[in-house]
Amino acid sequence: MSDTTAPPIDSYNPRAPFLDELFETDGRPREVARALISELERIGAEGLTEVGRRRDATFLRQGITFETSGEDGPTRERPFPLDLVPRVIGGDEWRTLKRGLAQRIRALNAFVDDIYHAREIVREGIVPWRLVVSSPNFARAVHGIRPPGGVYTHVAGCDLVRHSNGSWKVIEDNVRTPSGISYVLENRAAMTQLVPQLFANYRVRPVDHYPQLLLRALRSVAPSADSEATVVVWTPGSLNSAYFEHAFLARQMGVELVEASDLVVRDDVLYMRTTRGLERVHAVYRRLDDDFVDPLEFRPDSLLGVPGLVRAYRAGSVAIANAFGTGVADNKAVYHFVPEMIRFYLGEEPILENVKTYLLADEEVREHVLSRIDQLVVKPTDESGGKGVTIGPHATERELEQVAAAVRAKPEAWIAQEVVRLSTVPTVGPDGLLAPRHVDLRPFAVFGERIDIVPGGLTRVALQEGSMIVNSSRGGGSKDTWVLEDGDDADRAGPPLADVSSPPALPEMRYGDAWTNQQQQQQQEPQ
Amino acid sequence: MHFSIRYLTEYRYGSPVSDNLNALRVRPATTSSQRCDEFHTRIDPEARVTRHLDYFGTEVLEFGIPTGHDHLTIDVRARVVTSAPPEPPHGPWSALTSDAYVEAAGEFLLPWQDQPPIAGIEELEASIRTAADPLAALRLLVELVPDTFEYRRGATYVGSTVSDLLAAGAGVCQDFVHLSLVLLRRHGIAARYVSGYLWAAPEDEGSDSLEVDTHAWLEALLPGVDGRGEPVWVGVDPTNRRFAGETHVKIGHGRFYADIPPVKGVYRGGSTSTLGANVQMSRLDPQAGARA
Amino acid sequence: MLARIAHELYWLGRNLARAEFTARAVDGVFRSELQTPSDSGPGLTLGWHGLLMMLGGTPGDEALGRGHALARLTLDADRPDSMLASVERAREGARAVRDVISAEMWEAINTTTLTLRGDGTARWSAPAGPYLASQYVKQRTALIWGIADRAMLRDEAKSFLDAGSFIEVADMMLRLLRIALPTAEQDPRRDGNALALLQAVGGFHAYLRAVTAPPNAQPVARFLIFERAYPDSVAACVDSLHDAFAAADASPRDSQPVLRVSRLAADLDFQRRMLPAGTELVDICERAQHELVAVDQDVADRYFAGMAAGERGIAMVV
Repeated sequence: MSDTTAPPIDSYNPRAPFLDELFETDGRPREVARALISELERIGAEGLTEVGRRRDATFLRQGITFETSGEDGPTRERPFPLDLVPRVIGGDEWRTLKRGLAQRIRALNAFVDDIYHAREIVREGIVPWRLVVSSPNFARAVHGIRPPGGVYTHVAGCDLVRHSNGSWKVIEDNVRTPSGISYVLENRAAMTQLVPQLFANYRVRPVDHYPQLLLRALRSVAPSADSEATVVVWTPGSLNSAYFEHAFLARQMGVELVEASDLVVRDDVLYMRTTRGLERVHAVYRRLDDDFVDPLEFRPDSLLGVPGLVRAYRAGSVAIANAFGTGVADNKAVYHFVPEMIRFYLGEEPILENVKTYLLADEEVREHVLSRIDQLVVKPTDESGGKGVTIGPHATERELEQVAAAVRAKPEAWIAQEVVRLSTVPTVGPDGLLAPRHVDLRPFAVFGERIDIVPGGLTRVALQEGSMIVNSSRGGGSKDTWVLEDGDDADRAGPPLADVSSPPALPEMRYGDAWTNQQQQQQQEPQ
Repeated sequence: MHFSIRYLTEYRYGSPVSDNLNALRVRPATTSSQRCDEFHTRIDPEARVTRHLDYFGTEVLEFGIPTGHDHLTIDVRARVVTSAPPEPPHGPWSALTSDAYVEAAGEFLLPWQDQPPIAGIEELEASIRTAADPLAALRLLVELVPDTFEYRRGATYVGSTVSDLLAAGAGVCQDFVHLSLVLLRRHGIAARYVSGYLWAAPEDEGSDSLEVDTHAWLEALLPGVDGRGEPVWVGVDPTNRRFAGETHVKIGHGRFYADIPPVKGVYRGGSTSTLGANVQMSRLDPQAGARA
Repeated sequence: MLARIAHELYWLGRNLARAEFTARAVDGVFRSELQTPSDSGPGLTLGWHGLLMMLGGTPGDEALGRGHALARLTLDADRPDSMLASVERAREGARAVRDVISAEMWEAINTTTLTLRGDGTARWSAPAGPYLASQYVKQRTALIWGIADRAMLRDEAKSFLDAGSFIEVADMMLRLLRIALPTAEQDPRRDGNALALLQAVGGFHAYLRAVTAPPNAQPVARFLIFERAYPDSVAACVDSLHDAFAAADASPRDSQPVLRVSRLAADLDFQRRMLPAGTELVDICERAQHELVAVDQDVADRYFAGMAAGERGIAMVV
């Protein structure tokens, strides 16, 4: 155990040909990382292990946990694995990313609108109609409905990776119910408490205004005459793996966290059931898929959800974020067409590139892909969270045969992508020593009157050596993501918050009401 | 032909229910061979009815009854004039892959409920393949399905699949149509589910009022004559061994039943309901006599 | 506030209070049993058997030793009437309303549950384990209520949480009395276990300060039912329950739960002053308990959108 007192850096060895974001290939820290690395050396391996223990204990006590599911046996509550080494993104770089993301989200939003109305992109022969109508997320029930402000993708999270040449690529778009923002905020809060010294030499842009951005966006699309529209967060319930985040966001925005049983539609208006009767709801941030929102529409065999919700939505009496039917845009086959959408709808060249993707419905392409399936990543088009993904170079012969058979049976349900060499960032191991681990990035955008993107996002890290699977449900961890301020950043102070209502509060803090009632009660006493 | 239709649905609940929300797809469509002149609905307990056209162009009537009630009556009346559709065109199998055909077919070519492929219908599939052209295939289909399966109420239920029909060896019009859709789509013939009313008077009987049920048949897309010209949707009724004609009053179409259920609803309250539904159809031009 | 949240808070209050009451009762019986032989005959009957009955369990035929009963009452996770089960239910409820009750209170409840589960530790192993566990729950519930009183806003949420605890304590007290009080045919002089009853509800010192009569069955029972100055007495709980509902209700004047509780309070006050002829204290307990069941239903109807037993079916018509 003598080496646990050693500086954690000495043995660090960037894994060429992968790009390491904090170290040069020769093992010297990059300029931007020097101060950070020397602080880490000062803490030492033993210190990092000790901080790690404190972190886990704190997260467990606060219930900042997630449940692992699937292949590795029964589910268990674990502390969310936050790595203590932050990821650093320069201000210039971030500005480019931000512009690229906003561009992409605008195009995706335009696509959703187009698909449920004029279908011009189909008529122009850019996106095949068959691809759209065969998607299980194409929502016929909302055909022709245009939500307030024409915004569908209020909350979006695009997954980005950094290639070995330093360029950023989009690997996936999430415009249904992307999760992870709560970890961005909790990670930052935890880092400032656990290792404040790391921040000493950096000006890191804050992230904690996200809930206010979201609330403002939801209020801006809510069909309410007065500015105090009632907004709720709709969770499938406390058994959902992202329940922590649902509760977190409701708390941070100071709104109610509701379940289906709390909601009822009467005369095409949505209400929630309170102790004092029904109260109108103007906007719903829903964290569940279309299939479970209204048993009268969508899935005919489901009794979950709020009967009549689609009616209320169609009548325009309630805003739903994200809008029903947005899932049609985060189909992985549709992803292939996003650069074309940007050109078509916006008349711009895409700022962020896609990863080279193959659609397998075409027989020639399919045979080409199957012939080199061991070098490609194969993904089902309508899954999320890394489910069903086969990484060719890491798969067994048998797994490859199985996925090839599945592709042949239903080609349009699969895509193939070139393997991306994810960049690495130093990550603390169980022994307190740093080792390179692969990362991706999910920035979070909010689309109301305009598009706002919180600096950074969720950096997910594969904790196993060499692994590129970063999903938290499959053994991935996360990192605090720093976007550095550099003097000339126009919006470094964050978006103006002047028109945002009071700071977050507990739901239903009716100080005034409580006092009134007590007075009424006293009047009642003498009889 | 000129019909008046009355579609009466009645529910009684064991104990009061609330938040009873329903969607109706019951209004006869107006098409090139059919015109809906009058249409009225009455809901008891009284409720405000809103209308919109759904994705497939069917008019949907929606209403909700929030407060407690122990019964629900949906009374729909319509007057319709129908005419015989034109003769279906002959086009070759090869025309099914033309751009014009595929474009007109749209999503009605996709193997919706046939994925993974339903086992046990290979023989039926092969027989249809023997037809000389798509029109002949339809003529074959309307005999083949009722020859193979018995029409029997209660053999299946509203949520039954094609596999259920195969297992039971019997079913109702809904099941016959679902099976036919699968068979036609497997041969590249676009086909869609049609819901409507059928004037089911025997040919030699001149009655002018009948009690019937809502009926299901299908429409298949046939390529234009000799593969040229516009493809045409042709009504086919595999339950009654014939093509749809003047006697068929169409409400609308969809990919399958779930896209166009006549009445769909949800209510709060655990009590069981009893349902009475009937369709009364009357000929308003009896002098013409009933014919198929 | 949301009807569902109010419902959760109310049951959180009930479950916490039940755990606490169980802990006290176990503690009281354990201590009194160390001092007096358990076969002291008729009179005021309070032993392990009685506690199991109070919590709604059927003791079964086997002669229940102390160890067995203790285990069942405290840490048996499979029995819904155990102290641990109440704490687990409280945790589930607290998880759903953690944003309302404050993170501190959630953490206190969560830590209590995790400690009580004692996964992989020998902390609660026999023979003294169950007793230590009940001591622990007494301390922790005191802490949790302390946090609630200091950290929670005096709003609707707190009212429902408190209401749950008041109705639960009143109900438990009534159950305990119905089991422990001597019936008419028993010799009223042999009630040496009245002390145990006071110990079991943690009211021994309060009784000595408030009442001059020796701690025999009748005065002890009257104290536990009627003494408004003693916060866990039935009357005091009913008063507090009334205040909690009245504060939470938008219109208390025509509120069924408020009116019913208020009638019950008036009845108790009348009975305190003059016990109607031919009425035993046990009868009063029984009637009061029935009223509390009715209150539960009223509360569900008025505040929880009918969420009493959680039966709200949606049926589909096709």
